[in-house]
Amino acid sequence: MSTDVDIAVIGAGPAGMTAASTAAEAGLSCVLLDEQAEPGGQIYRAIERLAARGERFAEILGEDYARGAAIAQRFRQSGAVCQAGVQVFDLDADGVLGLIADEGARWIRARRVIVAAGAQERPVPVPGWTLPGVMSLGSAQTLLKSAAMVSDVPTVIAGSGPLLYLAATQLIEAGARIEAVLDTMPRERYLAAAAGLPRALMAGGELRKGLAWKRRLKNSGVRYLSNADAIAIAGEGRVTGLRARVGHRDMDFACSLVLLHEGVVPNVQLAMVAGARHDHDGLQACWRPVLDPFGRTTVANILVAGDAGGIGGAELAAAEGELAACAAAYDLGCIGEREFERRTRVPQALVRRKKPLRRFLDTLFRPRDEVLVPPGDDTIVCRCEEVTAGELRRIAALGCTGPNQSKAFSRAGMGPCQGRMCALTISHLLAAAHDRDPAHTGHLRLRPPVKPVTVGQMAGAPDDA
Amino acid sequence: MQRYSIVSIARNALTGHRNWQRAWRSPEPKPSYDAVIIGGGGHGLGTAYYLAKEHGLTNIAVLEKGWLGGGNTGRNTTIIRSNYLYDESAALYDHAVKLWEGLSQELNYNTMYSPRGVMMLAHNVHDVQVFKRHIYANRLNGVDNEWLTPEQAKAYCPPLDIRRDARYPVMGAALQRRGGTARHDAVAWGYARGADALGVDIIQNCEVTGIRRDGDKVIGVETMRGYIQAPKVGVVAAGNTTVVMDMAGVRMPLESYPLQALVSEPVKPVFPCVVMSNTVHAYISQSDKGELVIGAGTDQFTSYSQRGGFHIIEHTLEAILELFPVFSRMRMLRQWGGIVDVTPDRSPILAKTPVRGLYVNCGWGTGGFKATPGSAHTFAHTIARDEPHPINAPFTLERFRTGRLIDEAAAAAVAH
Repeated sequence: MSTDVDIAVIGAGPAGMTAASTAAEAGLSCVLLDEQAEPGGQIYRAIERLAARGERFAEILGEDYARGAAIAQRFRQSGAVCQAGVQVFDLDADGVLGLIADEGARWIRARRVIVAAGAQERPVPVPGWTLPGVMSLGSAQTLLKSAAMVSDVPTVIAGSGPLLYLAATQLIEAGARIEAVLDTMPRERYLAAAAGLPRALMAGGELRKGLAWKRRLKNSGVRYLSNADAIAIAGEGRVTGLRARVGHRDMDFACSLVLLHEGVVPNVQLAMVAGARHDHDGLQACWRPVLDPFGRTTVANILVAGDAGGIGGAELAAAEGELAACAAAYDLGCIGEREFERRTRVPQALVRRKKPLRRFLDTLFRPRDEVLVPPGDDTIVCRCEEVTAGELRRIAALGCTGPNQSKAFSRAGMGPCQGRMCALTISHLLAAAHDRDPAHTGHLRLRPPVKPVTVGQMAGAPDDA
Repeated sequence: MQRYSIVSIARNALTGHRNWQRAWRSPEPKPSYDAVIIGGGGHGLGTAYYLAKEHGLTNIAVLEKGWLGGGNTGRNTTIIRSNYLYDESAALYDHAVKLWEGLSQELNYNTMYSPRGVMMLAHNVHDVQVFKRHIYANRLNGVDNEWLTPEQAKAYCPPLDIRRDARYPVMGAALQRRGGTARHDAVAWGYARGADALGVDIIQNCEVTGIRRDGDKVIGVETMRGYIQAPKVGVVAAGNTTVVMDMAGVRMPLESYPLQALVSEPVKPVFPCVVMSNTVHAYISQSDKGELVIGAGTDQFTSYSQRGGFHIIEHTLEAILELFPVFSRMRMLRQWGGIVDVTPDRSPILAKTPVRGLYVNCGWGTGGFKATPGSAHTFAHTIARDEPHPINAPFTLERFRTGRLIDEAAAAAVAH
C-alpha cells in the first residue's frame, strides 16, 4: 500500500480543524475525516450554517459557539481536504486507517495520524436509564444545534458539570418545556475544590462565564434544585417520571423526557485500537492516552489532540490541535527546530495557563461514586446485552478479575456498541468489587471495527487498497 | 461435586439460584505436585481431568497465567470435524469426535456439542478430486464423509448461492454429518469442574517464569507465586509454546501466526450448518446466540499480536458475500485474533521431549479446538505412562528429524 497522505486527522472539532489547518498551511498534504456531514464536531456542530440561521438562533447558542466559525473558516482556506460523512472503523500502528465512505470500505495510509475524536458523554447507569424517553443532555443539545429542534414534552434535566448549565440554558431559551433542573454536584465539592480556586481564577474568563450560565439558568424561572442525589427514572415501557433525593427529601417529578449528563470523557476507541498506551485518570475517572506535551502517543505514528486526550474544552483543544500538527510536521522534517519552537510558543502558553482551571473543574465536578458504580443490583450496566450491576458483582465474587474475563461469563460489552456505553462502568464496578484501583482492573480490550461495518461494505473495498 | 440435573435446577430455582456451589475451588499452589500442567485452556484442563480420572494421578496442578479458557480456547470458531486424509490424523481427530459425542454426559456439564454437519465446498475440478479422495480415505478409516451435488448442498444449507457463473462456483461439497460446533468456554469450564472434583488444583493468575532441570530431567517450575516441585511437567501453551519450552532449553519446530475471526450482530437462526471453503479460506457458522461466526486464514507473516491484518478479513468477506449474498447487510461487530503455533507439516506434536519428565502438546495450527478431548485423553496417557498412546504415537517431535511427516498441509492443499 502506498502512502496516501502526510497527515490524516480524525475528527472535525476544534482540535481536528486546527490541526488540519496547521498541517496544510505548513505545506503537508492533509485529509480531515469526520463521521458527520459537515465539519464542526460536537461543540461546533453545524457551525458553517450559523450565519444562515438568523440572529435569534445565534443568540441562543451564544458567543462561544460562534467562535467556531473562525476555526472552520481557517480550515476551509487552509487547503486541507475535508472528507465529511466518513466513518473511521480501524486504525493500526502503521498509520493505516480503515474507513467507510460511499457504502464501501477503503484503507488509506498516512505518515502521521492525529486522532481528534473528541469526547463522549459519560454513561449514567441509574435505575431506568435504558427506558425510551431517556437521552443524554448532549444529544438534546446536538438536535438543537444541527436541526434547531427542541422537545416540547415535559422534561427533567439531571446531572452535573459545566455543560449542564450551558445546555440547560440553551434549551430553556429555545423553548423546551423544562420542568426542573437537578444539579447532582454534592455541596461539599465546593470545599474540596476551594484550594484550587485562586489559580483557576487566574486562568481566564471561563470561570466567570460558567457562573454567568448558572445565573442565567437560575433566573430563567425554571425550577433549579441543587444537591440532588439517588436519581431513579420511573416508567413501564417509557418514562413517566423521575424520583430524586434533594437535600434529605425524596421528590417525584412527572415528565416524559429525561436528559442525563454527568460530564464527558475522552473518546479513546481509535487510539486504543491502534495500541497506544492508556492510563486511568483517577480525578476524571476515565482512561486517557499517555501523551507527551505535544500529543505524541506511545505509538510512533499516532498523535492525539483535544478532548480525546483528556477533557479540556474547545479553546484548549484548538491549542492542542496546533501543537500536534506542529509536532507531526517537525517529525516529518517539514519544519525545522526554530520554526517548531516559534509556532508552538503561543499554544503551549495557553495550555499551561488553562491547566489550573481544569484541575479545579475536575475536582468540583468529579462524578459521584453512584455514577461510576451503580449501587443497585438491578440497574443495567451493559445495555446491548442487558447485563445488570448485580450480575457483574456476582461474577466478580467468583474471582473474575477484569472486564475481558467478565465477557466470557456475562457478554457485558459484546453488543453492537462494543463497550462504548459500558466499558467505564464495568471497569469501575469490578475495581470496586475487588477494592482495587481501576488502573489495575484494566479496560475492555477494544476490537476493530470500532463501529459496526456490514459484510457488503467490507467486501466492497477496492482490491488495490 | 454438586451434580447438575433437572432436579438440581428445580431445587435451586426455589431458592432463587443463590445456593449453587462454586464449579471449582481456587486453591493456593502447594510446594510440590506429582505433575504440573502449564496452560489452562481446553487441552490443558482436559489433560488434568483424564490424568486424574483414568490414571489416578490426582496430586496435580494446572497453572494458568490468565484465566481459564482465555487463550485460543476462547478465541476460535469452535468447529469440530475429523475428515482428515491421513490415517494418523483421522484416528486422532475421530478419537476426539467420539469423545465429543459423550462429553456433556461424561462431564455432567453441557458443552453444547451440536453435530449440525460440516460442509466443505469444492469450487474447481481440483477441489472435487481432492475431496472425493478424502471421502474414500475417510470411509476406509470409518470416518463419515459424503459427497453432495450442488443441489444437495443447497438443500442442506439454503442460503448458499450455487449459480454456475459465480466467481467461486459450487461444484459440490463434502459433508461430515457428525461434524459441528460446541461452546468453547464450556469445554474449559466443564473439564475444570471435572478435574477439580477429582482433586486437581487449578491455579489461575499464576504465570510460569521458568522450568528447572536437573541434568536431562525436569524437577519443577518457577512461577509468579513461587517455585513448585514436579517430576512431570506437561506444556500445553498453544501459541506461547516456543516461549515456555525455551525455559527448559528445548527448541521447538514451531512458528506462531495470528489467525483471525469475526462475528456479526446476532440474528434469528438462518444458517443450519458449518460451511468451509478451503479455496477462499473462510469458515462460517451461526452461534447459538445468533451471531454469524466467520473464520479467516492465517496472516502470511509470523507475529504474536492477537490481531491480524485487515486485508485477510476483506478477502474472506468478499468470498463469503459471493457464496451467501443474503449476508451483505449483516453488520460485523468485532474482529479478533489468536496466536496459532504451526509445525512444518501442519500436524500437532503430542509427545515426550529430550528432557525426561517434560511433555509437550502443541502445533495444532488452526485446528486445535476440534481435537480437545482426543488430544487431552492421549496426552494424559503419555504423561501418566511415560509412553504415548497408540493414537498419538506418530505425532512425535522426532518426525521432523527423521522425515516421517504427517503432511496434512499438502493433503489439504492450503496453508492450514
